[in-house]
Amino acid sequence: MSTITSTALATQVYQVFIKATPEAVWDAITRPEFTARYYHGARITITRDHYDSRGPQGEVWGEDSVLEFDPPRRLVHAWRSLYDPEMADEEASRVTWEIEPRESGYCLLTVVHDRLDQSPKTAASVSGTGWMMVLSGLKTLVETGEPLVDFAATS
Amino acid sequence: MISPMTEDDDRVFKALADPTRRHLLDRLFERDGRTLTELESELEMSRFGVMKHLRVLEDAGLVATRRSGREKLHYLNPVPIRLIHDRWIDKYTERRVSALAELKSRLEETA
Repeated sequence: MSTITSTALATQVYQVFIKATPEAVWDAITRPEFTARYYHGARITITRDHYDSRGPQGEVWGEDSVLEFDPPRRLVHAWRSLYDPEMADEEASRVTWEIEPRESGYCLLTVVHDRLDQSPKTAASVSGTGWMMVLSGLKTLVETGEPLVDFAATS
Repeated sequence: MISPMTEDDDRVFKALADPTRRHLLDRLFERDGRTLTELESELEMSRFGVMKHLRVLEDAGLVATRRSGREKLHYLNPVPIRLIHDRWIDKYTERRVSALAELKSRLEETA
């Protein structure tokens, strides 16, 4: 069995189907009481003009500008990895969330993390299990009301 | 495009059951965001054949596509594999954890 090494890319695309309304998915992305349960314990608040992410002790994990805010369909914000000193020094990248309603009460959630050209450490960190964990956790929380990992119990 | 139907898992397993399709996923894992022409150049297969395989991967949700100008770029989307992992592998982990918890309480009872 050979091991393949990946070049973490300047543009990464992730998709997941979620059986929920676009509004429920939007809330799960933008409100801290939801993100704390699937997003590595981060309390994330996203409003029309600000992206704010806090760790369990209130430490700043992310503070960025919101570039597009169109509930419950499209959200674009800047991304700096303030939770890690080395990655925090890298250039800001960009995250786009798209929520498309589909048949049978499903939404297709697409996350595009791009403009990572000048941020190789961040690119490597969010690829692999990074976004994958966040999106599978988000799906599980929205569909079942239960988190995949109990961050409150582990932190 | 990913189908939201319950046969999602079937599609993922069927898509992964073919060596050419796994090869395409490996190529995207090495370098993501490729065009059909780029992927085709690495396989001894007709453009139509590669298109057909990519279509199966897209239907299973394992490949996501984005337009960039006139080009259609293909991205590896690992989320469906993660979901299968969550659903199946985590069950074993849970069982092991609960078996250990049970052992602990039994030992403590008899102590």
